[in-house]
Amino acid sequence: MKTPLYEEHERLGAKIVDFHGWEMPVWYTGIKHEHMAVRSSCGLFDVSHMGEIYVDTKKSVSFLDRILTRDIYSMKKGKVLYTFLLNESGGIIDDLTVYCIEPGLKYMLCVNASNTDNDFSWIRKNNSTGAGLDNKSSDIALLALQGPRSDKLLKSCLDFDLGDLRFFSFSIKQTKKYGELMISQTGYTGAGGVEIFMPQEKAALLWKDLLDAGAVPCGLGARDTLRLEMGYPLHGNDIDETTTPVEAGLGFALDMKKQGFIGKDTLSTQIRDGIKRHLTGFVLKDKGIPRQGCSCFKGDKEIGVITSGSISPVLDKGIAMGYVNNTFEPGEEVDILVRSRRLKALITRPPFVEGAIVK
Amino acid sequence: MNIPKDLLYTKDHEWGRIEDGAIRVGITDYAQSELGDIVFVELVEEGSKIAAGDPIGTLESVKAVSEVYAPVGGTIKSINNALEDSPELVNEDCYNEAWMTLIEMDDPAEAQELMDARAYGEYLASESK
Repeated sequence: MKTPLYEEHERLGAKIVDFHGWEMPVWYTGIKHEHMAVRSSCGLFDVSHMGEIYVDTKKSVSFLDRILTRDIYSMKKGKVLYTFLLNESGGIIDDLTVYCIEPGLKYMLCVNASNTDNDFSWIRKNNSTGAGLDNKSSDIALLALQGPRSDKLLKSCLDFDLGDLRFFSFSIKQTKKYGELMISQTGYTGAGGVEIFMPQEKAALLWKDLLDAGAVPCGLGARDTLRLEMGYPLHGNDIDETTTPVEAGLGFALDMKKQGFIGKDTLSTQIRDGIKRHLTGFVLKDKGIPRQGCSCFKGDKEIGVITSGSISPVLDKGIAMGYVNNTFEPGEEVDILVRSRRLKALITRPPFVEGAIVK
Repeated sequence: MNIPKDLLYTKDHEWGRIEDGAIRVGITDYAQSELGDIVFVELVEEGSKIAAGDPIGTLESVKAVSEVYAPVGGTIKSINNALEDSPELVNEDCYNEAWMTLIEMDDPAEAQELMDARAYGEYLASESK
């Protein structure tokens, strides 16, 4: 599958890779350069492969509240929340953001590209109240404009004041040139900026205008190193149906006080009785790069496994996320086995760097 | 794509330069552009005996790990230690500064099996089809 910006990526000479069936740019000029552009200036990502599912809850919000871990009833218009779809045993089917378009009436879920179909069937299966469901993933383009200079580009290209928008909220802006834009102060880089949902057919126009205004085109490679420096989990790597939000340290996205939701019982038990392993971060002391699947040791004892690893372009050190036995805390020195070599690493609670580096 | 005329090439995208019974080895411009930013280089140590096709080094880009293979058999005479601290040289100057390994050849005739620049150019063209 291709996004509406595929031709733009080819024109820019991007290296294209297959990402869960999508032909996506992994980099244009280089991951490190693109990464640093986002941290210190402004980068532009095509993330149109992400899924958008609209939920019409005129009859009742209860269904949506039951399948998500946040309190949907208390959401105000224009609010965004990070949340999960859990299975009955608390495993993470997907992590997503929910957008409150009209309280009580209309919501949008932005889900991981590779999970869109699976999510949609899970939601349909659990739609006990006959809510209207509409998978609009193939109609909507999504641009992520990220970095500390994003506000200036939004002002010059869209006459939009980012200062008027609170973190994790969105507003809808009608434009003549690009159609209806849903501008959301969210992202996956920690560098600040917005994500812009928009009609497919206008996406190339806005893409080009933002690049002309100085945004650096960025591929999925930089998106991955940026999110890893912040310790944001990636579904399929760091979280999946065999891990729970409690184990992944994502309790902030659980409204445990609200009435029952799918998976809640397991989470309550884990919070009460404790867990055996938890997701944490690692910064390497030795040279080298930990990768997914590497084992983690304390002495001769295997104590965990790496779920994501790469280099931090900011620190110029190997960084990783992974699960370790619960007795291991930040500050502990451990070994990560990378291709038969043991590399020393310090368990470190992410973020590993400042999200935005303003000079 | 830069393919210097005076070098020999392998199908794994290593280049070799014959120097007095030895061969200096690195990776090609095509290889470095495919791998992207190289962030870590680990080379098999001096004195090691290797056969053609044996790994002589590991390159890590941000995204992935790949091996560098010996174009011919022999003994590793010297390695480029500068790459340990400056792996980015592989992207910046793959044919000169970022040479990796100098191999004393067991049998210089083995080098005759390698491709010349023209053959490598054609190989790349056929690969990209």
